[in-house]
Amino acid sequence: MSENIHVLTVDDSASMRALLRSALTSRGYDVSQAEDGVAALEWLASNGDNIDVIVTDINMPRMDGFDLIEALREQSRFRDCPILVLSTESSDEKKARARSAGATGWIVKPFDAEKLDTALRRVTH
Amino acid sequence: MRYDPDLAIGEPARITVMQGQVYVGSGAPEILTTVLGSCIACCLFDPLARVGGMNHFLLAEPTAGRGTVADENYGVYLMELLINQMMTRGGIKSRMKAHIYGGANMHSGMTRIGDANARFAVKFLDQERIPLARDDTGGVLARRVDFDPLKGRARSRIVEEVVAMSRPISRPQSSGGELELF
Repeated sequence: MSENIHVLTVDDSASMRALLRSALTSRGYDVSQAEDGVAALEWLASNGDNIDVIVTDINMPRMDGFDLIEALREQSRFRDCPILVLSTESSDEKKARARSAGATGWIVKPFDAEKLDTALRRVTH
Repeated sequence: MRYDPDLAIGEPARITVMQGQVYVGSGAPEILTTVLGSCIACCLFDPLARVGGMNHFLLAEPTAGRGTVADENYGVYLMELLINQMMTRGGIKSRMKAHIYGGANMHSGMTRIGDANARFAVKFLDQERIPLARDDTGGVLARRVDFDPLKGRARSRIVEEVVAMSRPISRPQSSGGELELF
């Protein structure tokens, strides 16, 4: 059984997913990825027991980050799972909406790999 | 009443897009303009929504001990910012087409950072499945680019004026990357 922190990253940009995978695997994380909220919910339905933290974008097709967070918080097994938003957005209005949906915290892109590492360890311990 | 650019009278406003900036057309007659050396400007256009925009970036060169790959994080950020702002004005990513300009290698003997910037832009667009309609990059001379965000038309020309050597901006002016806990 791996003792690595298992992160699910949700982002519709393939380039951003590649950057996140590279940054996180090189720091010892197990990384799974989904391209939007719908794909994330489908993946979590069968793999959710092994996930330690979720990092999600906001602006995505089909299901955005706000709706994803709300859908996860309605499921008892994800009620306490840390969910961080990683977005180009930084307005107080958007942050308030994420807080209301049940997000744990917010990080503004572009991400810094060291700071993301620190944030993930902080919310998973 | 919907604005029709073909019936517009008078000169469009000229908007200069500097390194590290993103600008998406407001719907009024505008020309987005920039001068590029090693930097890249990517122009995106959605022909159905008639919305276009431009960004302007320069990737940081690799630092000692960090390999030979330019730092792509900031480039991805500025591309995503452009796409997101296009979407807020009615653009749809799957309909967007791209032009890229710049990426000159203006100083012999130095790292060919212009080539690295152009390669990054082509790779990004390929990964995001955005068709590259025009690629005017490379060479050793600066370019001036003018882009009409309502029509999706661009003009690129070589300029003799000296472009001050740009330093890459690797972070936005506002702080990014910090965790804000709720």
